[in-house]
Amino acid sequence: MHLIRYFLRRSLLSVFVVLGVTFLVFVIAQVVPSDPAALYAGPRPTAELIEAARQTLHLDAPLHERFVGFVTAMATGDFGISYKSRRLIADDLAIYLPATLELAVFSTLIALVIGIPTGVLAAARRGGWLDRASSLTSIAAVAMPTFFLAMLLQFVFAKWLGVLPLSGRMSQEFSVLDPLPTITGFNLVDAILAGRPAALFDALAHLVLPALTLAAYPAGIAMRLVRAAMIEILERRHITGARALGLSEPRILFGHALPNAVGPALTVIGLSFAYALTGAVLVEIIFSWPGLGRYVSEAILSKDFPVIAASALVVTICYVAMNLLIDLAQALVDPRVALT
Amino acid sequence: MNRRALLKSTALTALAVAGYAASSRWGAALAQDGARIFTLAYPAGFPDLDPATSFSNDGAVLANTYETLTRYIPARDGAEARVEPLLAESWEVSADGLSWTFHLRSGVTFHDGAELNADAVKKSIERTMTIAGGASFIWSPVTAIETPDPMTVVMKLSDPQPMDIIASAGFAAWIYSPNAVDKDNAWFNAGNNAGTGPYMVERYEPGQRAILTRNETYWGGRPEASFDKVVFEITEDAVLAQSKVESGEADWSYGLAYENLEALKANPELAVVVNPSFETLFGMYNTRRAPLDNPKVRQALSLAFPYDDVISAGTAGLGVRAKGVVPPGIWGHDADAPVPDTDLELARALLAEAGLAEGGLELTMTYANGDSLESLAGELWKANLEQLGITLTLQPMAWEAQWQLAKSDPAAAQDILVLLWWPTFITPYDYLFNLFHSEETPNFNLGYYSNPAFDQMIDAANILSGTDRPKAEAAFIAAQRLMIEDAAAVFMMDRPNVHVIRSDIKGYVDNPAYGHVVFANELSR
Amino acid sequence: MKAFALRLGWAGTLSLGIIIAYVALAALAPLLAPYPAQGIGAPNIVDKFASPSAQYWLGTDHLGRDVLSRVIYGARVSLTTGILVVAISLLIGLPVGLVAGYFGGWIDEILMRTTDIFLALPALLLAVLLASALGAGMWNCILAVAVSWWPWYARLARAEVLVLRGQPYVEAARVMGVSNATIIARHILPTASKPLGVQAALDVGPALLTASALSFLGLGILPPTADWGQMVNAGRAFFPERWWYSTGPGFAIFLLAIAFSVLGDALRDRDGGPRHAAH
Repeated sequence: MHLIRYFLRRSLLSVFVVLGVTFLVFVIAQVVPSDPAALYAGPRPTAELIEAARQTLHLDAPLHERFVGFVTAMATGDFGISYKSRRLIADDLAIYLPATLELAVFSTLIALVIGIPTGVLAAARRGGWLDRASSLTSIAAVAMPTFFLAMLLQFVFAKWLGVLPLSGRMSQEFSVLDPLPTITGFNLVDAILAGRPAALFDALAHLVLPALTLAAYPAGIAMRLVRAAMIEILERRHITGARALGLSEPRILFGHALPNAVGPALTVIGLSFAYALTGAVLVEIIFSWPGLGRYVSEAILSKDFPVIAASALVVTICYVAMNLLIDLAQALVDPRVALT
Repeated sequence: MNRRALLKSTALTALAVAGYAASSRWGAALAQDGARIFTLAYPAGFPDLDPATSFSNDGAVLANTYETLTRYIPARDGAEARVEPLLAESWEVSADGLSWTFHLRSGVTFHDGAELNADAVKKSIERTMTIAGGASFIWSPVTAIETPDPMTVVMKLSDPQPMDIIASAGFAAWIYSPNAVDKDNAWFNAGNNAGTGPYMVERYEPGQRAILTRNETYWGGRPEASFDKVVFEITEDAVLAQSKVESGEADWSYGLAYENLEALKANPELAVVVNPSFETLFGMYNTRRAPLDNPKVRQALSLAFPYDDVISAGTAGLGVRAKGVVPPGIWGHDADAPVPDTDLELARALLAEAGLAEGGLELTMTYANGDSLESLAGELWKANLEQLGITLTLQPMAWEAQWQLAKSDPAAAQDILVLLWWPTFITPYDYLFNLFHSEETPNFNLGYYSNPAFDQMIDAANILSGTDRPKAEAAFIAAQRLMIEDAAAVFMMDRPNVHVIRSDIKGYVDNPAYGHVVFANELSR
Repeated sequence: MKAFALRLGWAGTLSLGIIIAYVALAALAPLLAPYPAQGIGAPNIVDKFASPSAQYWLGTDHLGRDVLSRVIYGARVSLTTGILVVAISLLIGLPVGLVAGYFGGWIDEILMRTTDIFLALPALLLAVLLASALGAGMWNCILAVAVSWWPWYARLARAEVLVLRGQPYVEAARVMGVSNATIIARHILPTASKPLGVQAALDVGPALLTASALSFLGLGILPPTADWGQMVNAGRAFFPERWWYSTGPGFAIFLLAIAFSVLGDALRDRDGGPRHAAH
C-alpha cells in the first residue's frame, strides 16, 4: 500500500518537474542573444527573407502565445523544427537519442563491472595494498577532467597502440558498404538481431573508449560507496557469525555481504546514467559519436533554440524516468524508503 | 589490480581487439572486391539538398549530383580566369548585353531518365526564382527565359549582367529535372535525385554521413579507376579529421590546424594542397559610432594591425596579405592596392591628430564563436593596440547574434565586426556591393560605410561587366582604392585554402570558386 | 599546527598544502610567473611552440607564450571560479533549504519542488544552456555553474534543519518566544553549517571541473585570459606532437581537483558530514 502511494506521488512529482523544466528552458531561451529568424532564413538572407521567416515562426507573437506553442510542440512529441536545418527535430532525435542511450547504458555497465568488485575486495582487504591502490584510483578517476581523459585514452589506445578505433560508431564496412538494418537504433542490439557477429564486434570496439571515458567518474564513486557499505556490513553480526561457521571468504563476501550493497549500486546506476547523459556533450565531440551531446553542442554554437530545448527536455525525461525507476527499486529493496 | 579484475579487463579488451581486427580484415576483403570509395572528412552536415534553396556546405554534395550551365575556372599559373562549358556547350551575348543565348549539350539525361533540354533549364531556373530562397537572387536580372528551339535557351535581362558567370555559381544555378519542379524541399532532402551529375545521393544520415553512388549513365568521361562511391563523413572536430586522413580512414579533409601542416607535408602518404581561396578576412569599422566615424582613427587602427604576424602565427605563413576585399584569382583584384603596413608610430601620429593622443579608448570587436584564426587575429591586434593606449575587448558570438547586434543600432553596435566573405558568384560587385554600398537599412554593409562616389563607380562598373570587362575592372579597382583610402575596414588577410588529401589519389585540383567542393568524378586511386 | 595535521591525516594535510600552494601561485602570479606579461596574454610569436627547455619549463603555446606562466595565471581563474561557484551556490541554496526545512508546509513544498526542477536538468547541461544564453566570460560562467549547483545545498540544508528542528533546545527556544530568524541564525545555522562546509570543500573540485568543461566548449573564459580548460582544448589540436600545451594545464586541473577531493574526505572523516551528495 505504502509502495503504491509512494509510486503515485513520485510519478506525479516527475510530471510536475518535467513541466517545470519546460518552463525553465523557455525562460532561458528568452535571454539568448540571437535572431532566430536570421538563423531560419539560412546563410546570407535578404531582409525580406528574414521578415518572412519571422512571420513563419510567429516570432512577433506575444510571449504567452509563444509559450503555448512551445509547450504544444513539446507535448505532441514532434518538438517543432530546427531553425538551422529546418528538419523535424523528432526525426533527428530518433537518430541521436539511441546512440547516446547506448553509450550511457554501456558506460554504466562498465562503471558497475569495475566499481563493485573493486569496492568489495577493497573492503575485504581493508588497509591492504589493494585497498590503497583502489582508493587512489578512485580519487584520480573522480578528479580527472573528462575531456582530458578522453584525449589520453584516444592517444594511448587508438593512436599509439592502435588496438581500438579512434572515433565514430562503426567502421565503413558496416556503415557504408553493408549497413546494419536500423531496428532499434542501438547498434549492439541491431547487430545481434541481424545475426552479424562481425558488426557486433565492430560496434563494441567503437563503444569501448567513449564508454570508458564516461565510466571513470561513476566507477570511482562506485568503488567508494561499495567499499563504505561493505565495511559497515562486514562488521555486522551475521557476517561474523558466518565467518565463525567457517564459510569461505568469497562466499561470505559475494553471497552474504554483497546483496546489502545493492543500495549503493542503485545510487551509482542513477549517477552514472546522469553523468553519461551530460558528459556526452564533451565526449561525443571528441569521439565524433553521433549522439544527443554532439547534436546539442552544435545547436548551442548556432543558438538553434528549438533543438536545445528539445534535447534538454528529452535528457531531463530520461533522467527523471531513470531516477523514478531507481527510487522504486530502492523502495522495493528497502521499504523504509517509501515512508519518508 | 587483483587477478579477477585483471582477468575481466583483459578479457574485455581482448574481445574488443578481436572484434576490431576481425572487422578490419573483413573490410580489406571487401575492398578487394572492388568497391572504390572516396571518403571526405567533412566538417559540417548537409541540411538542405534542394538545389533551389541550398546555400551552404550542401554545395559539396550538390556539385557532385547536379550541374550548372557553365563552370568558372579561376586564374592560375599565368592562365587567365575563364568560364568553361558544362551543360551549355556555347553561348553568346547581344551587343546591348541584355540578351544571352545558351546552346545546350545534347545527349544528357537526368537521374530520373528525363532528357536535358531548353524546357528543363527554363523550368528549373523558374522554380528556383519562384521559391526565392537561398541564393536565388543571382537570377534577379532575368526578366524572361525563352526556348526558341529544344536545345537553345535565351535569357532576357533587365540590365546587363555577366550571365555566363552567374550561370556558373556554386549555389542556386543547378539545373534539375522537369519531373522534380513540382516537388517540395522535403522531397529533395529525402535523398531523391533529379540532377545530371556524375553521382547520386544514396543515403544521408544526419550527423554521420552522406553517401553518394555513381551515376552509370553520366554523359561525361571519367578517369580509369575512378570511384564508385563518395562518402562524406561528418567530422566537426578538426583534430579528428586530421587523425582520419593520417590513418587513411579518410582521403580528403580541410580546416586542419595550420601549425600541423609541416608535419603532414612530411608524411609521404599525404599531399597538402595550398591554394588561394576566395575568402577574405576583414574587420568592418562601425563608421557611424564615435570615434570610428573619424577616418583618421580608422586608419590608425588599420596601421596597428599586425598583418605579417597574423599570417605567420595564424596560418603558418600560408595566408596572403589582403589587397582590399577582392581576392586574387577574381577579376577586379587590385594587386597594387594602397593597403597600409603595420606602423605603430604612424598610427600614434594619426591618433594624436584625431585628438586621441592620450589613448584611453575602449573598443569592442566581435567575431565568430570558435573561429581560431579570427580569435588569434584579435589577440595579436589587441596586443598592438595596447601600446597605443587602446583597449580592445574580444567578443566571440554566434553569427546571427553578431549580425543582429550590428544591424540594430549603429550607436550601440560593436565597433569592429570581423567577417569572412565568400562570393555567391564570381564578380567583384558581389564583394563591393554587399559589403560597402550605401544602404538605407544595412544587410551586410555592417559598418554603415557610405560614400556616394564609391556607390556610383561600382554601379557603373557592374553594368559594364557583361559587355566590357576590362573597363569594368578598371572602374572596380578605382572604387576599391577610394574605399581603402577611407579605411572602411581593416583587410586582415586572404585566407589560404588548405586541403589535405591522400597522396595515392590522382587528379585532384582545387577550384576556389566552389569553396571546399571536390569534383569526385575527376579523381581516381 | 601539528595537532591540526594529525587530525587531518597525512593525505589531508598534503592536500591542504597543495591547495595553499595553488592559492599562493595565484596570488603571487606576477612575481612567480617567469613571464607575467605572457601570462596575461601578451603574444611572443618568435618563440611559437618551443618545446620545454630551461627557458620555458613547460614549453610555449601557439602564440609563443610561456605555458608555465599561463598555467600559473590560470590558477587565478580556476580557483576563483571553483570557490565562487560554491560560495554563490551556498548563498542561494542555504537560505532556501533553511527556510523550507524550518517552516515546512506549503513553503517547503513550493521551495523544494522548484529545487527539484533545477535538479532534474543535469548540472552540466543546465550550465551549458545558461552559459550559451548569457554569453561567454568568467562571471557568466560562474553564474551558469552556480545556478546548476545550488539545489544540492538547498536539499542538504533542509535535511539538516529537519533533524535540528525537533531538537529539545530548539523547541525550548520557540516556546520561550524567540523569533524564528533568531532561532535559525543562533541555533540552527551554526550546527548545520559544519556538514555543509565539508560538502562545499568537496565540491570545489567538481565545480572547477564543470567550469573548465564550459571553457573547453568555448563557453567560459574569453581569450587572451589564461584558463586551463580552454588551454587543454586549444592544445588538443597539437597533441601529441606538442604534448606540453595540453598536458600542463590538464594536470594542473587534475591535481587541484584531487587536492580538494582528498581534503574534503579528510574533513568529513574529522567532522562528519553528509555521507554522499551525488552530482
